[in-house]
Amino acid sequence: MNILEIKDLHMSFGSNEVLRGLDMVVPENSVFGFVGKNGAGKTTTMKIILGLLKPDQGTVMVCGEKVTYGSSRTNRHIGFLPDVPEFYSYMRPLEYLHLCGEIAGLSRERIKERSVELLELVGLGDVNRRISWFSRGMKQRLGIAQALITEPRLLICDEPTSALDPIGRRQILDILAALKGRTTVVFSTHILSDVERICDQVAILDGGKLVVSGPISELRRRYRRNSFSVRFSSPEEAARFAALSALQQPTISVIVDGDTLTVASADQNGTGQLLISLFSSEGIVPEKFEVLEPTLESLFEEVVQ
Amino acid sequence: MNHFAVFFKKELKESVKTYKLLLLGIVFLILGIMNPLVAKLTPDLLASFLPEGMSITIPEPSSLDSWAQFFKNIQQMGLIVVLLVFSGVLTNELSRGTLVLLLTKGLPRQTVILAKYAAMLVLWTMSVAISHVVTWVYTVYLFPDNLSQNLFFATFCLWFFGALLLAVLLLGGTLVSSSYGSLLVTGGLVVLLNLLNLFSALKEYNPLALATKNMDVVSGAVAVSELYPQIGITVALILATLGLTVLLFRRKLV
Repeated sequence: MNILEIKDLHMSFGSNEVLRGLDMVVPENSVFGFVGKNGAGKTTTMKIILGLLKPDQGTVMVCGEKVTYGSSRTNRHIGFLPDVPEFYSYMRPLEYLHLCGEIAGLSRERIKERSVELLELVGLGDVNRRISWFSRGMKQRLGIAQALITEPRLLICDEPTSALDPIGRRQILDILAALKGRTTVVFSTHILSDVERICDQVAILDGGKLVVSGPISELRRRYRRNSFSVRFSSPEEAARFAALSALQQPTISVIVDGDTLTVASADQNGTGQLLISLFSSEGIVPEKFEVLEPTLESLFEEVVQ
Repeated sequence: MNHFAVFFKKELKESVKTYKLLLLGIVFLILGIMNPLVAKLTPDLLASFLPEGMSITIPEPSSLDSWAQFFKNIQQMGLIVVLLVFSGVLTNELSRGTLVLLLTKGLPRQTVILAKYAAMLVLWTMSVAISHVVTWVYTVYLFPDNLSQNLFFATFCLWFFGALLLAVLLLGGTLVSSSYGSLLVTGGLVVLLNLLNLFSALKEYNPLALATKNMDVVSGAVAVSELYPQIGITVALILATLGLTVLLFRRKLV
């Protein structure tokens, strides 16, 4: 089942057309990375999903219900974490979660239970300071707790890691990864390593549309460029191997870079076997031999001009 | 618990924790204590500044002088302090983004406006009440005359004018999204009302009378019933202002 479906979304601010026919589908129980350059329209899309912005055209369905601007009906399925969450700084974390729970209409007992559970989950279990003393990372973690208080089926995070130091980032990613299977997570980011670390689905937004979307493993296969990387024990050996007549074919390209060769061809299997047979006939054991997978970064650079 | 009660409670708590309640309490307490004292001491002070051998006749101060101080102070100092304290009540939440999290959890937008207004009214009522009671106690003690009448009604009129300004403050915050902006809109209204007073035809309906005719009510120069039209107009203006604020706030980007 798809927890979120966006169809033909258009949105412009004045003459600046941010979204031009965005289609996006998020399957349930996925961790979905929503990637795009700064200003690509990630935050705009999220605000439309939350009913905080009115799109010029297009529909958004959350759990099969249509989102309407200015209404908060569909938001009962959604937990939202803005890029820099702001709280009432005079409150303590439990107090704040209590307020959130009351507004969401939870019972007193449930709020108590959930608050303790969530503060534990985000690692703020023994923090009873006022929020004004919180670091950015702590605010971000409290932000996740408040977003989860209603046990939403969909958690939307707007660049949850961009403002954090490496440790804070890892903590947030660990928390999000731990939600896998319980809650569908959509998070926007421009940090590709974060996506690689925890996401199983990714969508790349560029020019107001999705240019790539799908499971990461499938994208890797689709954008694989039939090439191999071979590292030899010395540059001399690499050069000698590259000069072999079997590799001097018009369909095979060989690039030498020190002790490493990158061999690309149209026919992946054939070339792979050829390389392996050459290793054995030449008596060479390469230090490393691998099928080159496109990194998200190279994929991103390829699809985003 | 319903949304209004939850958010109203949050607003009151905020007033306590951010020292708004304390500040207003102290300011209005001081104003209350000052009013009768200033009335009582003014003649002595004046006399002490006169060169020796000179004398002027100053009428014996009465309770009317004390209440004149009260209305002057609340109108000039009290209202301004209240407006300054509340100028950021909506705009701070908008500019910091604290409201977004609650709105996306299903807090209706009209509730934000109405609960904030209700909480401001509670604090304003408390402030005026403190000042009124303290002034009343001291005045009865220092000037046991029976010259002042309709005190409750006179104060109520001023309170009502303040209630109008607070509603306009919220409208200003929704219109211009900055605390200076909302103060400017409120100040603009007061200037406008003063200008309207230049037209004698409109005078009878100008809410400004609720903040200027108080001493006439206390001294008996103006009958209570003469202010009924202004009260009616003010009720209508407050309701219209709140309605407009809710409508605009629903469309506002947060």
